[in-house]
Amino acid sequence: MTDKNMNLEDELKSALRRQQAPPHFTERVLAQIAEQNSSTQAVRTPWWSIFTQPLLRWAAVTATAASLVIGGIHYRTVQRERTQGEAAKQQLMLALRIAGNKLQLAKARVNEINATPSTNRSRSEEE
Amino acid sequence: MAERVFRDHPPHTGTRFADAFADLVRRHQSMVFTIALHYLADRPAAEELAQDVFLQLHANLANLKSEEHVTFWLRKVTAHRCIDYKRRRTLPQVSLEEVAEPSEPARSEDPFLARKLRQVIASLPERPRLVMILRYQEDMGPEEIAEALSLPVGTVKSHLQRTLALLREKVSRSIGEVTI
Repeated sequence: MTDKNMNLEDELKSALRRQQAPPHFTERVLAQIAEQNSSTQAVRTPWWSIFTQPLLRWAAVTATAASLVIGGIHYRTVQRERTQGEAAKQQLMLALRIAGNKLQLAKARVNEINATPSTNRSRSEEE
Repeated sequence: MAERVFRDHPPHTGTRFADAFADLVRRHQSMVFTIALHYLADRPAAEELAQDVFLQLHANLANLKSEEHVTFWLRKVTAHRCIDYKRRRTLPQVSLEEVAEPSEPARSEDPFLARKLRQVIASLPERPRLVMILRYQEDMGPEEIAEALSLPVGTVKSHLQRTLALLREKVSRSIGEVTI
């Protein structure tokens, strides 16, 4: 490195040396931290503080448990009713299918009788 | 320090923790404030930025393992915050008269030259300016600067060379080939 470079670098180090922070800088930083902490706590207080009391905490746990039990029972009842409804629907469909088949058979029988030749019918009448 | 603070005072509250953190701030405030001041060339803005950096340090102290880690973290965060600050707020261009004067008398033989150097550095683009500040204020090597600014080492060396050449030219033009 040349002398010129050395001189310039020395001048730069001197020009850019560290300076004192403004007076009471640390105190202002600590005050801001304290302010930030207190405002964070104030924001949290409304909904967190409710559950710090044991009675309310137990009440909340009990209410949640009761809601879960009631919800479960209701869900199972609905499921059972739905299953029963499905079974009834299947039975009705089967009954309708059987009735339809019977009607088809009866109709076929009537058609068969109507289609028998008239000579056979008159001979049987003479006898 | 950070390790000691957390080993001795686990919660983020309490008088002893506050005292330990205050010591930490006192030890590093000059470094953080001066990086911001040399970058922004605006004393109130530098103070505001330095305070924000220490608030962020307070929130992140649990992740820092040693005094060296704290120093590295502070330099890195201050550098990035300087860039963000400048991008968010378009500060007025600095003139020779507005560049921050050091509170202590200069060791330089020529106070006018020191002032001129600070003025030229304050007018550099953001990356070369930070490279110069970290190199000559904090005496960091190119590798350390590269790590702090997330830049390749080659880029840092190139910024240093080009900026030194530019400084020599600008200062020579305004002062003459006297001392440099």
